[in-house]
Amino acid sequence: MGILGLSKLLLDIAPHAIKEHEIKTYFGRKVAIDASMSLYQFLIAVRSEGAQLTTVDGETTSHLMGTFYRTIRLVEHGIKPVYVFDGKPPKLKSGELNKRAERREEAQKALEKATEAGDATEMEKFNRRLVKVTSEHTKEAKHLLSLMGIPYIEAPCEAEAQCAAMVRAGKVFATATEDMDALTFGSNVLLRHLTVSEARKLPIQEFHLDKVLEGLKLSHKEFIDLCILLGCDYTDSIRGIGPKRAIDLITQHKSIENILDNIDKSKYSPPEDWNFEGARELFITPEVADPETIELKWNDPDEEGLVKYLCGDKQFNEERIRNGAKKLLKARGTSTQGRLDGFFKVLSTTPAKRKVEDKKDGANKRGKGSGGARGRGRPK
Amino acid sequence: MFEARLVSSGTLKKVLDAIKDLLNEASFDCSDTGIQLQAMDSSHVSLVSLSLRADGFDKYRCDRNLTMGMNLASMTKILKCANNDDTVTVKAQDDADCVTFVFESKKQEKISDYEMKLMNLDQEHLGIPETDFSCVIHMPSGEFSRICRDLSQFGESVIISCTKEGVRFSSSGDIGSANIKLAQTNNIDKEEETVSIDLQEPVTLTFACQYLNSFTKATPLSNRVSLSMSANVPLVVEYEIPDLGHIRYYLAPKIEEDEN
Repeated sequence: MGILGLSKLLLDIAPHAIKEHEIKTYFGRKVAIDASMSLYQFLIAVRSEGAQLTTVDGETTSHLMGTFYRTIRLVEHGIKPVYVFDGKPPKLKSGELNKRAERREEAQKALEKATEAGDATEMEKFNRRLVKVTSEHTKEAKHLLSLMGIPYIEAPCEAEAQCAAMVRAGKVFATATEDMDALTFGSNVLLRHLTVSEARKLPIQEFHLDKVLEGLKLSHKEFIDLCILLGCDYTDSIRGIGPKRAIDLITQHKSIENILDNIDKSKYSPPEDWNFEGARELFITPEVADPETIELKWNDPDEEGLVKYLCGDKQFNEERIRNGAKKLLKARGTSTQGRLDGFFKVLSTTPAKRKVEDKKDGANKRGKGSGGARGRGRPK
Repeated sequence: MFEARLVSSGTLKKVLDAIKDLLNEASFDCSDTGIQLQAMDSSHVSLVSLSLRADGFDKYRCDRNLTMGMNLASMTKILKCANNDDTVTVKAQDDADCVTFVFESKKQEKISDYEMKLMNLDQEHLGIPETDFSCVIHMPSGEFSRICRDLSQFGESVIISCTKEGVRFSSSGDIGSANIKLAQTNNIDKEEETVSIDLQEPVTLTFACQYLNSFTKATPLSNRVSLSMSANVPLVVEYEIPDLGHIRYYLAPKIEEDEN
């Protein structure tokens, strides 16, 4: 679930930290993808007439469809993806997981009710809420990835934490997830919308942790405390403290301990046995595999294997799968374009003064005239 | 107050044509020594570095250092309104949020001025290290442009390999392959047609045609071009703008897949 309202807060306070790029500008980059999140995304989104794609036996194949085609799309753009799967959830997450289970139960009940009433839109809504990534889904996705020649990693614990560790170690360029807590775990670069459907034409949002900290004027430790106040998966937050107040309190008092000493506890009562220290500890030293020991290896796709796996029981179209495999192979053959960033050092950056001016006209005109590069230095 | 005047607006048009393929907008840094521009394209593969010296202008005045962010598409529109032999003057106040282009026709019977809003742009200044290149090729710019155009029909990338015998440009793709060899020439009568190679060490590098073709948009500015290469560093393509300055393009090479 990530951090409640963090992206909105950043958009308000630290707009410099967020850049938008087109997917094609990420060629040659190695990106760690939070697999559990993207599988969930696929199960929700890859549907036909509101229902998940299934085989005749009713086995879901949405996640395979999504993994196959969207991975190909990334590879075709020259991106080298590596999928990171969740391991066992941390103990602190049990509260959150229980809540999710409860919500699922509620949704189940609501679904039954809606089915009785025959309300199709309500049925679909609750049906989606029931979606859960099962170990079977994960297993199948892993098998598919290995046939595609795409590496995957099993994190000992949280996938975001593992991704962050790999970004910090320079193994990959960025973490691709929709969950903002990758930043809290210390991932220098976070990409959102990388695995969403191409049809939605969303530009990729790039968050830079250093710019986030600069924009919020916080240290990483203070930022973690801010995230806990906003609401994370590992502990409760103080009721009545929203994003605005959270950032004010952190800026003023620097840590949760100090905030607790200074706020009016009768008005804002912290949760009982509030284990914010545990959550903080989890963010600072999460359980991860040493990124140095991880070897990332991209291989040629196994076309026959893919056809056998996907077109046999899973009933995918053979021609499409073969095409996909060819695309994967072709993308491997070409040499990758280098970037200048590696050769030249950035001496200084002068961010644009974002004055509130009505320069929108100019921006619109440009949008029509040249569909080329967007996102750098857009007028605001 | 900033003011720069060129007798022929054609030069300014050519400069703009040379950069507008790669950049949508750019910051012109003006100081008392001249106008500089340094910017990368959106995917950070190539970099344009333009330098126009103050003494190259007919009149140049810059009281305070000034950075003008311009939308190059808008600037193109404005320069289209000028005849090539019109005199052009670029003017801006200190801390201005707009820039004025004044075009005067030869006989001064028509004077037009156009005002353009400036933009606030994010700017990244890159430090470009001084490199001793393994080889520097000087050749006619038209020839280079022709080679890039011809080879881009065959494949997405061009391999440039330079030895003491000469320089070879090659490309291959679905339809077949193409090779162009240029030998060093010593034509004293027509100096601008010579191909000369200054070689320390043979180099072979691969580059994307798309960018090279964008660089050759600078061909009208100069009849000579120089290509500087060293293994694993960006290619530098330089065009001298006679009596005014230079435009340099940097291009990151394509890297062969490593064993991963």
